[in-house]
Amino acid sequence: MSRYFLLFLLNLPFVLMGLLSAVTQYKLGRSTKKHAISLISLWVIILVGLSLTEPIYSWLFANNLTVSEPLSLFDVIQITAIVIVFYIANRSIAKVAMLEKRVQDLHQELSIKLSKK
Amino acid sequence: MKKTKPRVCIVIPAYNEDAKIGYVVAGIKKELKKSTYSGEIVVINDGSKDNTALIAKKNGAVVISHILNSGAGGATATGLSYAQQNNFDIAATMDADGQHDPKDVIRGVEELIKREHDLLIGSRLINKQGMSKVKILGNRGLSVITYILFGINSTDSQSGLRIFSRRALEQLQWKTQGYEFCSEMLWRARQIGLKISEYSIKTIYTDYSRAKGQNNWNGINIVKSLLKRRIAELMG
Repeated sequence: MSRYFLLFLLNLPFVLMGLLSAVTQYKLGRSTKKHAISLISLWVIILVGLSLTEPIYSWLFANNLTVSEPLSLFDVIQITAIVIVFYIANRSIAKVAMLEKRVQDLHQELSIKLSKK
Repeated sequence: MKKTKPRVCIVIPAYNEDAKIGYVVAGIKKELKKSTYSGEIVVINDGSKDNTALIAKKNGAVVISHILNSGAGGATATGLSYAQQNNFDIAATMDADGQHDPKDVIRGVEELIKREHDLLIGSRLINKQGMSKVKILGNRGLSVITYILFGINSTDSQSGLRIFSRRALEQLQWKTQGYEFCSEMLWRARQIGLKISEYSIKTIYTDYSRAKGQNNWNGINIVKSLLKRRIAELMG
């Protein structure tokens, strides 16, 4: 199996999960349209980049814009790890923002309710 | 807005202000009594470790105590939420360090009604008397940054004396918890189409309020937080 195809195959589930998560968060009203669009755009760019890795490398090499070695197995693992970290970071940011808002609201409401006692 | 006797909620966010809070509450209470408005004074005790809550209560204020210190933005949000939940027509926020003249608060309420605006900012920089050059520079700097980041033109974007209409109480929300909320609030107000304007207030600077107030170094933190908020907003 080509290493470029392996790279695409390994990363595809994370990209799809990222896209699905962006759409779901928007549909459930947990994020704004603008935020959903920027996340979807980022994931689409990553997907296009991954699927065109080989032609991009060949073009860069042919035009003397890179002298790096072709994709190694280590590169495949490293790039996959970066995509996974990006996916986890995105989910974490969304969760932290949601929790922060809930804690603030809870603190506010609790303080008002307790003051009435 | 009702034509007769609007109910006014005076919100005073306070953190470790037991030295001045009694004086501030008593002062605004006296002015409120003299005016034609009925109202309530609400002190948001933002997790103080001193006797702020006790003294404020003794002087006749309703005290809402935060369990945790949330910052000026969080305390103000709690106060305005209380005003909204209790159906006040107008709310006013003022500092707990005694730098605002209670007469200016009542005058602000009158101005808001007269102008039929939603948010009125008491600007200390229209008449700069009593303000040190360093404070003027710091406040002007933050107002310029507020203009660059959010396109809001205000002479004193960091003023704690603000008057809110019922519409503002119902619709205005912000995300930051610290002092940077002053700029963010103006931005959010403009986003939802509230009518914003300013009126001149005088500043009473004492050694106490100078020591308690914001220094220019804290301004750097405010700018950092505002930049972060602006970038986050660009990303959605």
